Amino acid sequence: MSVLIDSLLAILIVYLALQCLLAPRLTQTVFLFFAFGLALALAWVRLGAVDVAITEAAIASGFLGVLFLDALRDFSFITSGKQESSDAANHSVSKKKPAFLSLPGVVLVLGLGLFLLITLEAVWKVPESGGLTAATEALLPESGVENPVTAVLLNFRAYDTWLEMGVILLGLLAVMAVGGIKIFPVHRKTPEDPVLQQVILFFTPILFLFGAFLLYFGKNGPGGAFQAAVLWGAIGILLHLGGRPVLTVIPRWLSQLLLIMGIGFFLMLGFLLLAGGASLFEYPPSYAGVLILIIETLAAISIAVTLVSVFVHLNQLNKEESN
Amino acid sequence: MTGLPTSPLPALLVGFPILLAILTLFFRPGVKALVGLAGCLLTALLAFIAFVEVTQRGTVIHTPGGWDPPLGILLRMDALAAVFIGMTALVGGFISLYAWRYLRAQDPATGGYPLFWPLWLFLWAGLNGLFLSNDLFNLFVTIEVISICAVALAVLSGKAGALKAGLRYLLAAITGSMAYLFGVALLYGSTGTLDLDHLGQVLEPGTTTTFALLVVTLGLLIKMAGFPFHFWLPPAHSNALAPVSALLSALVVKGAFYILLRLWMEVFGVGITYAAGQLIGLAGAIAVIWGSWQAFMQTSLKLLVAHSSVAQLGYLLMIFPLLILPPGVTADSADWLSVTWTGGVYQVISHAIAKASFFLSAGIVIMAVGHDRIESLRDLVGNMRITSMAIGLAGVSLIGLPPSGGFVGKWMLLKGILLSGQWWWAPVVVAGSLLTAGYVFMLLRLAFAPAREKEPFRPVPKTLEVVALLLAVSSFLIVFPADYLIQFLENSEIFGSGIEAVLKGGFYGND
Repeated sequence: MSVLIDSLLAILIVYLALQCLLAPRLTQTVFLFFAFGLALALAWVRLGAVDVAITEAAIASGFLGVLFLDALRDFSFITSGKQESSDAANHSVSKKKPAFLSLPGVVLVLGLGLFLLITLEAVWKVPESGGLTAATEALLPESGVENPVTAVLLNFRAYDTWLEMGVILLGLLAVMAVGGIKIFPVHRKTPEDPVLQQVILFFTPILFLFGAFLLYFGKNGPGGAFQAAVLWGAIGILLHLGGRPVLTVIPRWLSQLLLIMGIGFFLMLGFLLLAGGASLFEYPPSYAGVLILIIETLAAISIAVTLVSVFVHLNQLNKEESN
Repeated sequence: MTGLPTSPLPALLVGFPILLAILTLFFRPGVKALVGLAGCLLTALLAFIAFVEVTQRGTVIHTPGGWDPPLGILLRMDALAAVFIGMTALVGGFISLYAWRYLRAQDPATGGYPLFWPLWLFLWAGLNGLFLSNDLFNLFVTIEVISICAVALAVLSGKAGALKAGLRYLLAAITGSMAYLFGVALLYGSTGTLDLDHLGQVLEPGTTTTFALLVVTLGLLIKMAGFPFHFWLPPAHSNALAPVSALLSALVVKGAFYILLRLWMEVFGVGITYAAGQLIGLAGAIAVIWGSWQAFMQTSLKLLVAHSSVAQLGYLLMIFPLLILPPGVTADSADWLSVTWTGGVYQVISHAIAKASFFLSAGIVIMAVGHDRIESLRDLVGNMRITSMAIGLAGVSLIGLPPSGGFVGKWMLLKGILLSGQWWWAPVVVAGSLLTAGYVFMLLRLAFAPAREKEPFRPVPKTLEVVALLLAVSSFLIVFPADYLIQFLENSEIFGSGIEAVLKGGFYGND
């Protein structure tokens, strides 16, 4: 039975990926991408990696999907002047014969197929090693948390996670580099939409509570800073769309502090430990649990603010270009 | 764990630049540049302290979190890491000085591209982290940091050409990262470890190992713009701001080469065959000829310099076939190994310095005449003596004429080639040098030629010219400590065992 489910899921993922690539319209591509992300999340659940599944659904499908939809709307806005149909989201990607039917296309497809076969052969032959699971289990009591994933991310390999927090911040800096140097764009008032206002009123507390739940229970089960951050970030994006731009009304230094709080506190803690003669991020065992919770909370806030900033910035950038 | 002395320096080399990068975010654009410059100079100072520490005490390690590998991550600063970190500090320090003056002059309205400083400091931390890391997955994270910074810096000017080239760069960089990560997943899946030392001990030959080695190498080749994956480099490097072009060409591409060198020498012993070495050497040889020829054919100054990078990176790939023993040769008789790999490292350093100087000089010329056609070099000597001299000296080092650093690197490579008996690489080195001489002398001929019409040279800040010249002079000064540096590298215990790993695996690895 489970083999049947897994096979169907595998076929579905490949099918959705292909459809995503071959869809004639960008709108279809984006919605297929949503579906593809969710199918992939299901696959992670089947593989027993619930943490990855939540992150996949939240970031890859949710947040990226929102960015794509936003880009699509602005894209249609830009091209609307040039095309007959004002709904340029229906803009056709390729009107001529698909590229993969030409001779170089056939060679490429065959080459890719061969590569895929070798890949499958290599993956098939991976011997069972168990990885570092045993080592993680053995040292789990010393880590201060009970979820092995959290233990690896925030304690055993905290250095990797700290650098990854830098990567997320760099994502925002890169977006700002593309669009000039404004730290936060000036907000323009959008007309009030009563339905949207109701949605915001209804979802804000739920998203906040659910995020806090994921954050706190990440100590013991699936969940943690990244997953919580996406939910909290969703609040910020909703508020922004509803004409309540939280990030642009608070003072600039405060929004910047919120952005760097996670990585900054983590680093300062590391330096303090270094000064005390320990290694970077070598928490005293009795405080490990508390410290991890503080780091995760601050990191979740920072990541949420970063995600909202990316959205706000791109949103503004596209509007300026289309004007 | 390994009995090596622990030191906080490796942690500081990564943490300190990131702390400064975060700090710069809080300042107004004008102040940001000052804080950023101060941060860069302090980071360079820290790197020199660390370099001296390693020369005195030998290899030092640090385990973040206090967990031993393979569960935890090991940062190790051995001779090779120290040399690369020192090189980054030397070249990066000069480029920072140049950038401070250059960016202000380019864009006075907004205080001169303020985002340059946090991005460059993050990039520096990423490079230091990469050189120190002894963990396959941590290496991936540092590659990510470096790639995002590099792409963001490449598009900083906001011009359409830069954005287009930047997007292509981003796609190539992501493809490279994904290929590398896929290989890492396969290796972790089959061995259960990510620590390089541990992996080198437990890795067994087989389909999975060979395939993992293949995708990891492919990914890194894309990252270091090895032929035929060099397509993204010329547009990305030539469209960036001058100090950014220098950073990308001198330092960023060397990161991927560093990982490739470490993995091939320390880890992949069992999977590497003689044929694989010949293949990667062939890619390097084609890059040398093709890149030099392309450089020779360019009509725009920065594109010429960028294509020259493709060629110079080719030399680095040509050391790999020499590190693998042909059939029937034993480890004891292979006396060319150390001259080859230390020569390769020396080539990395001299190229970094010379190419940085070249790109900075090109930036000065473009600033003075307002466009980057090669014709603009006409009568450069009459107008900008310092910059003419910088271009001349950097060019001589790129050709590999004595007594430049480039000469030492290429000479050692040639020596390795002839000693190993793989003579077929020698004509490539010579032809590459001749082609390089071709485009460098073409530039110099124009620089001495009288001006056709009165094209005005606008005045350029003297600081810029002096920094470019200092770098060019450094590419000659590094000849003096050459003996010392090479001995320092040869005596490092890590590489002693590293070479053995390849020898043991060597040709017979897959049998």
